[in-house]
Amino acid sequence: MILPTTTVGSLPKPDYLTKARFQFSKGQISKQELESLEKKATKEWIEFQEEIGIDILVDGEMYRGDMVTYFAEHFKGFEISGLVRSYGNRYYRKPVAVGEIERLNPVTVEWFQFAQNLTQKPVKGMLTGPYTIMDWSFDEFYPSRRDFCLRLAEVVHEEAKDLQEAGAQYIQIDEPAVSVRPEELELAIEAMGIVTQGLKAYTLTHICYGDFPKIYPKMLEIPVNQIDLELSNNEFDLLDLFKRAPFTSDIGLGVLDVHSHRTETKDEVKARIQKALKVIPKEKIYVSPDCGLKTREVEEAKAKLRVMVEATKEIRETLQ
Amino acid sequence: MAVETTIAGAYPKIGDTTEEQKLRRALHQFDKEEITEEDLEEVKNTVTEEVIRQQIEAGLDIVTDGLIRWSDPLTYLAGRISGFEISGLIRYFDTNTFYRQPIAESRLEFVKPTLLPDYQFAQERSSKPVRAILTGPYTLSKLTRNRFYREFKQLAFDLAHIIHREAEALEEAGCRYIQFDEPAILNHKQDMPLFLKIYEIVTAQLSKAEKTLQLNFGSLDGIYPKILGVNVERIGLELTKGHKNWDVLKTGQCTKKMMAGIVDTRNTKMESDSDLSHAVHQLGEHINIDHLWLSTSHSLEFLPRVNARKKAELLSQVAKQLRGASVS
Repeated sequence: MILPTTTVGSLPKPDYLTKARFQFSKGQISKQELESLEKKATKEWIEFQEEIGIDILVDGEMYRGDMVTYFAEHFKGFEISGLVRSYGNRYYRKPVAVGEIERLNPVTVEWFQFAQNLTQKPVKGMLTGPYTIMDWSFDEFYPSRRDFCLRLAEVVHEEAKDLQEAGAQYIQIDEPAVSVRPEELELAIEAMGIVTQGLKAYTLTHICYGDFPKIYPKMLEIPVNQIDLELSNNEFDLLDLFKRAPFTSDIGLGVLDVHSHRTETKDEVKARIQKALKVIPKEKIYVSPDCGLKTREVEEAKAKLRVMVEATKEIRETLQ
Repeated sequence: MAVETTIAGAYPKIGDTTEEQKLRRALHQFDKEEITEEDLEEVKNTVTEEVIRQQIEAGLDIVTDGLIRWSDPLTYLAGRISGFEISGLIRYFDTNTFYRQPIAESRLEFVKPTLLPDYQFAQERSSKPVRAILTGPYTLSKLTRNRFYREFKQLAFDLAHIIHREAEALEEAGCRYIQFDEPAILNHKQDMPLFLKIYEIVTAQLSKAEKTLQLNFGSLDGIYPKILGVNVERIGLELTKGHKNWDVLKTGQCTKKMMAGIVDTRNTKMESDSDLSHAVHQLGEHINIDHLWLSTSHSLEFLPRVNARKKAELLSQVAKQLRGASVS
């Protein structure tokens, strides 16, 4: 199939789950009660993705808070800090490395299996990459960023191997922080090499918000099959870069602005895909939103995804 | 040794207790139209008082208003300048924080002083001098999307005049310390000649307040000592352990007062007071450390409030030790 559709990973949590997470944090409900609601929400999102015809599914990360903190909470060697602000009125708790990082048990495998058992379509295994976990954590233990990052790479590799063993055909290792410090791109590439080494699954990474002109085309050396990029937020300006040096890996084409409440029109999304088709061969394009949709309301996210799938289908017909 | 202590600018807006999270709650309620703008302002005022108090309790000599009203380093000022539209989120340098990008859609014009009422509010509630923080015109221009001006320098010069008006109003109100944050120049060092011209405009006829040029998110390598030609009295720079600026300082005599960012606010790891004292003595080998300010490398907002507080206390503890040592 050409132009397979997917999402970047996180989907909005329904109100009942947001409420339950709050109640759990206050000790008002049990872990089991929370988990049953997380499963309910996961099931609903799998059903929705099937219903609208998305090709590669995600579990929606109903059981995760922050993409870095979630892993840090499950790895030995991390503590979790107080709240720090990312922008506006949004805050998160940052991991603090206080000892050697170790993975005591698989972190995401059970959730992957739960979601995969609900559908015949492939579900992506979703991980956060070592460079991003390092960059978004405080470090009170390792002597250097490099030491910290490469240790995390080994730990994330173990998790990726377990996902593959559990049947994941697609493993996404998100590295949104990679675009931030061009001087450390080599380190990020080296770390990803450790994560994906020996994997047979199709691997991809998601990168966003950064100074792409400074890391392109070098970033194509990140050893994954596909790089998923945010393109709508910057009006597809990045395509100009790809005209200068061809985009050699597969691309996850971000066609929905995840920070806007407004639902794109089908024509807008079609125009974005068509723009990309002029620069990148159709066999290399996967269609997705710019980033995780977790910050949108459930109905907003659903409306956006419907438009994305319908627009993609219409473009597909013109190409066959 | 006349060492004084301060912080680079912002202070964490919230802490971990319910009481310390009132601003977060108020902003949320304001978004849902459950409280009025006046209610929200009241909370911002209370939190500003609270963070000034915390800085004084920590033992700092010069405080800031914590930039509690700022949602990011750009839009608080840009949103009050006529001609700007505020757009999508962009990462702020190499941090995991974001700002909304201003777009220059038409000629930029000064409307009225933004910082003046904030400064007055803060100073009335502080027993210590309050330093006003402004994002400098070069950084404002560099992080703006320019859809109006034919040339970048026209945008930068207009903003220089606007920031000058802000500084002028502060000076007239008796503000003794004004800081211009200019991290962007460290990523565009080829623009130094333009930068010097911009600061001729910004600082023209400002002679009462002491002006600090704050340069972080990089090193001064390549622009030092040329940067000392900027018409300000004090230069702020990162001087955390192992920072490249330590080597840079060896390359020329620093003729200005210094605000030394010796405490790292990008990491929770606490420096030891002996390491910091040693760093200050080391600094004395390269510069005249009379009138030295000890500060943080960056805004304290990169830390949770509890850690921010500890780092502020550490600064004043080190200064106390140094003063004690020089007396004996």
